[in-house]
Amino acid sequence: MRLTLTMAVITAILAYQLGLLDPSLWAKAGVNLVRFIPELGVRWDLAGDALLALYETLLISLLGVSGGTLIAYMLAPLASPLLSPPRVAFIVRTVANAIRTVPAILWAVLFVILVGPGPKAGALALTLYTSGYLAKFFYESLEATNRELYDSLKVIGLEGLPLAFALYSHAKKLIISNILFMLEYNVRTATILGFVGAGGIGYYIVHYLNLLNYQAALTFVVFTLLLVILIDFTSYIMRRRL
Amino acid sequence: MSRSADYAVELKDIFFSYGSNSILRGVNLEVGYGEAVAIMGRSGSGKTTLLKIIAGLLRPEKGYVKVLGHYLQAGGLNSVKGRIAYIPQTLGLIEGESALYNVLLARAPRKPLRFITGLWGGDDVEGAVEALRLVGLNGVGRRRVETLSGGEKQRVAIARAIFQGAVLLLADEPISNLDLDTAEALVNMMVSLKLRGLSVISVMHDRQLALKYFDRVYVLDGGVLREAG
Repeated sequence: MRLTLTMAVITAILAYQLGLLDPSLWAKAGVNLVRFIPELGVRWDLAGDALLALYETLLISLLGVSGGTLIAYMLAPLASPLLSPPRVAFIVRTVANAIRTVPAILWAVLFVILVGPGPKAGALALTLYTSGYLAKFFYESLEATNRELYDSLKVIGLEGLPLAFALYSHAKKLIISNILFMLEYNVRTATILGFVGAGGIGYYIVHYLNLLNYQAALTFVVFTLLLVILIDFTSYIMRRRL
Repeated sequence: MSRSADYAVELKDIFFSYGSNSILRGVNLEVGYGEAVAIMGRSGSGKTTLLKIIAGLLRPEKGYVKVLGHYLQAGGLNSVKGRIAYIPQTLGLIEGESALYNVLLARAPRKPLRFITGLWGGDDVEGAVEALRLVGLNGVGRRRVETLSGGEKQRVAIARAIFQGAVLLLADEPISNLDLDTAEALVNMMVSLKLRGLSVISVMHDRQLALKYFDRVYVLDGGVLREAG
């Protein structure tokens, strides 16, 4: 009860600061909504373009997950003091943290500058971001391993990458769950990478919004929603099977 | 391998403490090749610590550890790597993977690429299946270890030691949580590894079984080892 009251007070103060409590704002929003609704609709003649754009979005997301997972698999053992000298682990951790601190869309801007606009920039941005994000998950799962398991594998003579892969096997469920999480994240992010010219369906959404062609824009938004729902559902089914 | 060395394990005046808590205060132990030795003692007496020192996982503060002819403190750890098998209380098996995977793991240090890709050769798989058969586990190779009984999991851990070609087996309370018959069969199997040339050092809590099957039984008490009658 106290938390609810606190949140209500904070929300009211912040909303006031941002001008959201101004009645004229809501009156204007109402008028705009009445004007906007009749313009909504789906243009089925654009379905082919939308499907192609979705396919590109999916490719960008999947490459981001597969490439990012591979890089993170190699980086995580280097980032873990269990498997690497502490100095190396510190440096690799710092790099991985820096990579995931920068939002994926900013990496997309960088790659648009480096390789030009299009899906290549988007795929590279998501690969880099995913590798930083998953490297953290992976080195944490390596360190959460039962110490006795680690000891018995060390005594066998396992070290370096093979030891990391054995420990990954032990944490397989958690690792797959994190990869699926990144798949969902990447699909959502890939839909907006087009806003900065990095390919995918976002390019069309921004293009039609700039032309004030809301029906066309909404068509692409609807297809985006369908893809996100499909990926979330697939991911949910796969998680349940783990 | 330095078979010419007199003992598989030789501990001389070993001291070890965790902070201010002194655990081992001058442990001496000699275990010959093909000999089976049991170590007993109360909880917290330092039995696991002692096994870990022999395995090279912990460094003693004082004294020397000579394993398979190599002084571990003097860089000998690399020379004995892969020739010692250590079965901890939690067995050190990878859950979610098959019994066969867990046995094949013993060959990963020598064949890392095959291990990482999962593309094992026919000879590797045959060897692992044979090791499982030797411990009485026929036809369970493809089963995930978490679906096996406690006794079967112990056997998988022993099969891994056999497949590894270990010369020294260190086991930490291998029969805890097993019924009497299963426990006795397992101890019998573990000790019979002597016939394959392995030295066995096992922490035991069952005095009768220890005295019945092991060549020598020691009690760790007050930080020192005493031979039990």
